[in-house]
Amino acid sequence: MSGAALSVRNLTKEFTTGDVTVKAVDDVSFDVAGGEFFTMLGPSGCGKTTTLRMIAGLERATSGAIMQDGRDFMATPPQRRNIGMVFQSYALFPHLTIFENVAYGLRLRGLGTSEIERNVARILALLQLEPYANRHPSALSGGQQQRVSIARALVYEPTMLLLDEPLANLDAKLRVLMREEIRALQRRLGITTLYVTHDQEEATAVSDRVAVFNRGRLVQHGTPSEIYGAPQSLFVADFIGRANFLPVRLAIPGNPTGGAMLGNGAALQPRRCVRLDASEAEHLERADDAIVMVRPEHLSLDARAGDIACRVNRVQLLGGLIRYTVHSDASPDPVTVETTRPLTGIGEGAESFLRVHPDDAVLYHR
Amino acid sequence: MNVASGTLPSSGRDWGPLALGIGVAVIAALFLLYPLANALLLAFVKNGSEPAVSSLTLANFARFFTATSYQRALWNSIWTGVAATLAAAAIALPMAYAVARIAMPLRGLISAMTVVPLISPPFIGAYAWIILLGRNGTITQWLHGLTGWTLPPIYGPPGVILALSLSYFPYVFLIVQGAFAAADPHIEEAARMAGASRARILWTITLPLALPALAASMLIVFIKAIGDFGVPSILGGEMQVLPTLIYYQIHGFFNLNAASAIAAVNVLLTLAAMGALAWLNRTRSFVTVGSTSRAAVRATGAGARIFGNVWCWGVIAAAILPQMVIALASFADKWPGTMLPLSYTLAHYERVWSQLTGPIVNSLILAGAATALCVVFGTITAYASARDRLRVRWALDATIMLPFVLPGLVVGVAYLTAFNSGPLVLTGTAIIIVLAYFTRRVAFIFRSAATTIAQIDPRLEDASTICGASWSATMRRVLVPLAAPAILAGAILVFSTLISEISATVLLYSARWKTISISIYELVLGDLLAEASAIGTITTVMTLLLVLAASRLAGRNMADLYR
Repeated sequence: MSGAALSVRNLTKEFTTGDVTVKAVDDVSFDVAGGEFFTMLGPSGCGKTTTLRMIAGLERATSGAIMQDGRDFMATPPQRRNIGMVFQSYALFPHLTIFENVAYGLRLRGLGTSEIERNVARILALLQLEPYANRHPSALSGGQQQRVSIARALVYEPTMLLLDEPLANLDAKLRVLMREEIRALQRRLGITTLYVTHDQEEATAVSDRVAVFNRGRLVQHGTPSEIYGAPQSLFVADFIGRANFLPVRLAIPGNPTGGAMLGNGAALQPRRCVRLDASEAEHLERADDAIVMVRPEHLSLDARAGDIACRVNRVQLLGGLIRYTVHSDASPDPVTVETTRPLTGIGEGAESFLRVHPDDAVLYHR
Repeated sequence: MNVASGTLPSSGRDWGPLALGIGVAVIAALFLLYPLANALLLAFVKNGSEPAVSSLTLANFARFFTATSYQRALWNSIWTGVAATLAAAAIALPMAYAVARIAMPLRGLISAMTVVPLISPPFIGAYAWIILLGRNGTITQWLHGLTGWTLPPIYGPPGVILALSLSYFPYVFLIVQGAFAAADPHIEEAARMAGASRARILWTITLPLALPALAASMLIVFIKAIGDFGVPSILGGEMQVLPTLIYYQIHGFFNLNAASAIAAVNVLLTLAAMGALAWLNRTRSFVTVGSTSRAAVRATGAGARIFGNVWCWGVIAAAILPQMVIALASFADKWPGTMLPLSYTLAHYERVWSQLTGPIVNSLILAGAATALCVVFGTITAYASARDRLRVRWALDATIMLPFVLPGLVVGVAYLTAFNSGPLVLTGTAIIIVLAYFTRRVAFIFRSAATTIAQIDPRLEDASTICGASWSATMRRVLVPLAAPAILAGAILVFSTLISEISATVLLYSARWKTISISIYELVLGDLLAEASAIGTITTVMTLLLVLAASRLAGRNMADLYR
């Protein structure tokens, strides 16, 4: 990886309908390094797709800057940016054969017939699409159409590959298969890739780095393990993976160093502490209110002793995972505990104890 | 891979969309808005004066209160329009029910046959009724010989109502048959379970469910009927209606102001009907409740089947009778009121061939040019409005739909007033006819193109752009190939109606630019019905072939093209 291949600075997009102006993208900045797999993740309407479309040049930014290799990218019309893009609906040209779909960008670049044939043949082979070259898109399955759309985007060696929810129309198994295929291809070609998805598992599985969007803002970016292990807001903690939120009280109001106390009186000193921004701090009424977030796999159940007495409400077997749902005085909401092996003697209705590992918990305070 | 040798063609800013947008706006303003606004203004100007504040007057409208000829024309328009509409509904409703709900053979053929009256212009049918029911008409003579009783003259309201209703009933048939076929059969089955008889179900369930469709289709027939010029001008006799009154104000007195005022009243009548139609469309919420793909159960009783067959084939015989008569008359040497001609000849076609090729070629040129214009303009505006490219989208929508509600005579008046003097004089040229045709038909192309384009994923254009295509390259390589078949089918339909357009042509044609319809009109007025029949038959055959081609292209059957 070398310096930033793509720099986005203070990017903002406003939509105005009548008197109402909505900021679809609000002051977003990030850098993507050459060859990096960078994913924009967030719920629908969070601004991730709009950001991608502005980078593609399909939407005009209200303000901000987009630079590619240090040069202003915004003045270049989309057809001159030399990028490849894959759409959720694949957007294959229904009137053209697979060969012609893939050859489309090459024809626009004025390549000779033999050169086009050579390049198309190579990319079709790479994506195992040779048998379908003379078919029309409607004769292909969803996964095959997806691969054609990737071939079409890559054949002219773009400087960047943009993918907008490329797997959303595929069934669950194919989705997992395809995301690995995309990742392997991206590594092999070393192409800088921007990927948009609302599926956090997909994002953390394939990305070098993930940027989490919410309501038009980029709320946190980092490696998958950073955003999973140290979410900087309640939103990210909740959106990425599963999370238990336990209300606690700080020993010293406004200062997490004094430790926290769970609802049942047990003391806790989480290793990581995060001060919430104004909008999320609103949920905490008093200055000494705080929240501890623990992932289900970082909690354990013990029949004899622990931090919090609880009662097992429900035990679910989820493939290689066992999920316990427990009730306790420490939290009004049920708490989820996940283990890989069944705990002997702890069934539904059993009295038990929860154990919290301070190293894996994050404390959110005002 | 090495693609470095291929480079994207360099270009600056993409001016394509902006230039096209400006062009479209200018054409809309000059050839759609300006003529109509100008005609509306002239309606308030004293005859013979230049438009100025001092010459503004309501006198042109006051004649509707003072002159009996105006009052009669208005009243005739309304009541013959209503009568023709009711007659069309009476003909079509049982037929629609029979085709949708009675088990009889050849239902598809029946639907297809109903398109024949729609294809041929009503005024061609009109003079067939003279051959049949005129003073020396075949049926008139036959009845007289049989019973000694003479039919009342065909000229006047009876003839107009007969010809209009037999020309326009297919609109009611096609729309109502669709509604009958689409109704959820479970509703009727529920009524059956509740113990209702078949007649009771028909009366309390089936008919009320189809009522909104029936009303909507009747309003369409009414709008068509009150805008028709050809039928009342050929069969009206002494009776005047608004379109013929406009014609006489211009051909008799060249009083553009009076004609404009009459046109305004005609439009008002149409707008009232359109308003009612829009209101109906908003309130007809219970029609498409059906969620099942099961077809309704068809009646199989002998009585129902006999009734269905007799009624449907009777109506079709009556509706295509004019075409048959005209085809026969075109080959008839002597036909003195007998059942069939006494001898046959090709002389009429020879005369058409030697003397009337000019009008045929003119019609093809004018209709072709107008269709091309409609396709270019209609497709671009449809694209703009489907893809929200233009800020002025709503204005274009309104402007382009406006001429749709305007009868041909009104468009003719608007063009006469707009381009008779001033900076752009077009009177007597082919251009003015082409533009009037364009104004009358562009809405049709616009709508069919808008529907087609709306079904094309806008991401296809994004994908093309990202691959390196300029806007014009995207249009050429992606959008046009995808939308072309449907738009071409629409264009052929427009072309087929324009080669026999009469009501705008009759005000705008010149000696150099006579059309098929004008030739037929002159021949009929000169009582040369055989020659008129020959050229009418040629037109009908031409039109039929074109519509067949359009339905092939669009992949739909002929009846659906008109639904």
